[in-house]
Amino acid sequence: MTDAAYAELQVTTHFSFLRGASSCEELFAAAAQLGLPALGITDRNSLAGVVRAHEAAKVTGVRFVLGTRLDLRDDTSLLVYPTDQAAYARLTRLLTIGKRRAGKGACDLGWDDVLTHGAGQVAVLLGDLPDAALGRSLGRLREGFGDRGYLALTRRFKAREHIRLGRLVALARQARMPTVAVNDVLYHCAARRVLQDVVTCIREGCTIDDAGFRRERSFGRWLKPPEEMARLFARYPDAIAGTLEIVGRCRFSLDELRYTYPREIAIEGLTAQQALEQLTWQGAAQRYPAGVPTRVEVQLRHELRLIAELDYAPYFLTVYSIVRFARSRDILCQGRGSAANSAVCYVLGVTAIDPERNDLLFERFVSAERREPPDIDIDFEHDRREEVIQWIYETYGRDHAALAATVIRYRARSAMREVGKALGLPEDFTGELAKMTWAWDEAGVTETQVQELNLNAEDRRLRQTLEFARQLMGAPRHLSQHPGGFVLTLTPLIDLVPIEPAAMADRQIIEWDKDDIDALGMMKVDVLGLGMLGCLRRFF
Amino acid sequence: MRRVVCVWLPTWATDRLRRTPGAPPPDRPLLLATRSGSRRIVTAADAAAQALGVRPGMAVAQAQAMTAGLDIRDADPAGDAVALKRLAAWALRYTPVVAADPPDGLVLDVAGASHLAGGEAALLDDLCTRLARAGVAARGAIADTWAAAWGLARYAPGTITPVGAGVAAVAGLPVAALRLEPDLVRALRGLGFDTVGELVAAPQRSLALRFGTALMGRLDAIAGRAHESIVPVLPPSIPHARLVIAEPLGHLRGLEIAVERLASQLCEELDQRSLGARRLDLRLRHVDHRLSALRVGTSRATHDAAHIIRLFRERLPTIDPGCGIEDAVLVASQVERLEFRQLATPFTEHETADLAVLVDCLAGRVGAHRIYRLAPVESDIPERSVTRVPALAPATGRSWADGPRPQRLFEPPEPIRVVALLPDHPPVLYVWKDRRRRVIASDGPDCVAGEWWRDDAETVLVREYFRIEDEDGLRLWLFRVSGPDGQHWFVHGVFA
Repeated sequence: MTDAAYAELQVTTHFSFLRGASSCEELFAAAAQLGLPALGITDRNSLAGVVRAHEAAKVTGVRFVLGTRLDLRDDTSLLVYPTDQAAYARLTRLLTIGKRRAGKGACDLGWDDVLTHGAGQVAVLLGDLPDAALGRSLGRLREGFGDRGYLALTRRFKAREHIRLGRLVALARQARMPTVAVNDVLYHCAARRVLQDVVTCIREGCTIDDAGFRRERSFGRWLKPPEEMARLFARYPDAIAGTLEIVGRCRFSLDELRYTYPREIAIEGLTAQQALEQLTWQGAAQRYPAGVPTRVEVQLRHELRLIAELDYAPYFLTVYSIVRFARSRDILCQGRGSAANSAVCYVLGVTAIDPERNDLLFERFVSAERREPPDIDIDFEHDRREEVIQWIYETYGRDHAALAATVIRYRARSAMREVGKALGLPEDFTGELAKMTWAWDEAGVTETQVQELNLNAEDRRLRQTLEFARQLMGAPRHLSQHPGGFVLTLTPLIDLVPIEPAAMADRQIIEWDKDDIDALGMMKVDVLGLGMLGCLRRFF
Repeated sequence: MRRVVCVWLPTWATDRLRRTPGAPPPDRPLLLATRSGSRRIVTAADAAAQALGVRPGMAVAQAQAMTAGLDIRDADPAGDAVALKRLAAWALRYTPVVAADPPDGLVLDVAGASHLAGGEAALLDDLCTRLARAGVAARGAIADTWAAAWGLARYAPGTITPVGAGVAAVAGLPVAALRLEPDLVRALRGLGFDTVGELVAAPQRSLALRFGTALMGRLDAIAGRAHESIVPVLPPSIPHARLVIAEPLGHLRGLEIAVERLASQLCEELDQRSLGARRLDLRLRHVDHRLSALRVGTSRATHDAAHIIRLFRERLPTIDPGCGIEDAVLVASQVERLEFRQLATPFTEHETADLAVLVDCLAGRVGAHRIYRLAPVESDIPERSVTRVPALAPATGRSWADGPRPQRLFEPPEPIRVVALLPDHPPVLYVWKDRRRRVIASDGPDCVAGEWWRDDAETVLVREYFRIEDEDGLRLWLFRVSGPDGQHWFVHGVFA
């Protein structure tokens, strides 16, 4: 393999819902195989996939250039890559502004927003037609980004291509802006083109036969090796060199994000750990009026030591203050799950499993080896949970607290239904097929099941539907809100991750789901609603 | 005095569905269901399902638990109502006063009309038999009032009360026969009222106090003290014009004059009813009782007499009058609602010519299928990017594929020999029809991927198009396909 002189900077993953057709893992694995030194992930107005990409980059050794594609109000699009952490914080703020303005699932930004948040970002202007509008955009780009602005050159494999590219280069030269080659990647290998057509149909709500020009018409949207890209852009060596220049400039990595848990001041003048210890022993004295049993005392000391070691004290204090608030308002609540393995949680009143009478496995809950943040789930009366949620917003601030997202993914049934619809199968038919499988079934609908329905498994459309449904399974469909997982931060949350309004009034969610949060070592508190607690309340 | 026939169609919704194509096999019990909140409720069950114990009002889940192999379809109450109206129009054969009695009945006033069917009993029998033959279960009864006939049809089908029998005829029916709300029926039964007769015999004032006007209104209706009016369905009529000719016509000119007269008469009627004809039939009866007919179609609904006359004039010479024609009917056998369209405004100088007239005339001579327009199809494959549409079809709003297209496209593409560098360089030399030419200018590749949903072979197929100009100035559109057996070049068109 020759020395790799090209990095792919415009890659759309399946987190651009129903647009990209490959996962971050597939893209990075393919990039490693092709010898690409770095991959720039640019989903549309979103950073939802960046944590997955960050993890995939660690596994494959291909460098990950974090970025996003901004689609502006006036139909210009540009790719933005933050060069450092401050620029990253500006980018998440920018996306948050756009999302708050547009409401759930959309983003509304203009040039002025981009320019005010542009410091420290590298921007690549997209535009296939060398027209006057692009010239104006280039002018703005130069004003706002100076030498951090580039014009993208993309091969579309259409007629008059070299005339078009030549004009773009001339336009860039006129504006004294450099060019950079990008391949506008939608999938990791050529064979995925077909699935990309299918998801386009699902997005547009049409069948493949009627899709017409709504399909992606340009050819070659898969990852290509550096040599091939250098050959395709042989006339524009500067544009090829530009890719590595950008990679060199954008040194920001998600590892730099310093996540800080909010400071909890439960008792004036004490550190969080001291406060927790004091509260623990006070609680223990109340729980065991006849004196703390030795066994419990040993357990408590063990847990406190581990908590001190991992610096989780503020987290326990947060849970304690939420529970205390709920108790003060007479809202029934109860911790559950692995937190029940903690004697500290018991004496703080979070859980109700008496460590004296039960063997606790604290290591199941918090472990120094796993270094995973603890996960305390608390159930509240479901009709009064909103009070608790609003209290959390008020106490920690709306810029510091938000719900985690849940990525809704295609399961066997939903994939079957939507792919069937896109391929023009009648709905009752796909409905029957979908019924044959279980939602979480990994295998999808199998040939044998098709035969059980007395269907002709040789039918081409049916075969394709089964095949594509299987490929689509696991692909994200949209972001939804987690039932109650709160992320709390000391620094403003919008410096860490874009926040978007949820479908419910007064709720906001971050773009990452709980796996992403875990991967970055962020802690979350689960505030869940339980109808039975409400029942108990009304009963007594 | 009225004589009212009530017909009850106990399984109308399922019977109707069975008559449509795609209905389940007759031995499969059929249910119709609708969603009520989160539950699915049975709204109708056919006889087979009822025999298994399924009743309307039951939850679908319960019905499925009771028996397997049920065919469950979605209820279509709006469709049922429309079809019931059509059925009422059919029943106009018995009497002019017929109305649909939704959800599952018909009501006819046959006073003064029953003798045409051979008496009331024969009429009722004929009505039910014809419905049964068409697959619609029907019970009927005849009484002096609608209310009485309604109750009898449901609780004592087949009854024909003597004229003037009054309430006595229905005294033995259960209170439900009064067509009351189910709650009211339950309340009455709770008080020990089982039959209509008991209610009539009870002190009316206390009944009125206790149950209000709803009950009293029904008792009045059943006794004929209150009048329930039947709003009859209007018979659908087909616009037509007729000319009875005293002196039989024997030559073409006479026939033309007859058509002119019929056309203007018909157009007057169409105009009044805001209709336009899409198909016209001219039926001629000859003196010797032979019939001949002509049919013309129009591409757009019309009520323009001159246009209709012109369409027939082209075809009239094909008719042989024989001994003469004594009766001519012009029928608009297919009509559409005609909306008013503004043809010109004070600001436009010339009104746009109505192409429909020309198209119809040409279609009359060469056949409608030979007149078409070309419209774009959104496909990147050149030979699939165009289709024929009817001459006056509305624009689809689809766009033509961009990019250069040759003036002439070869169908199918012709193989050509080409020298070109791999992997995607343009040709430098070609040999076609024994001409060997150097290429002096080229553009490409323009990659067009196969349409994988049509054929497996197209999934991997890619055409790379090149526009080339040779040393003679000839400009060709070439493409290359790469397959497992190497590369193949074709010429697909010539640029002007």
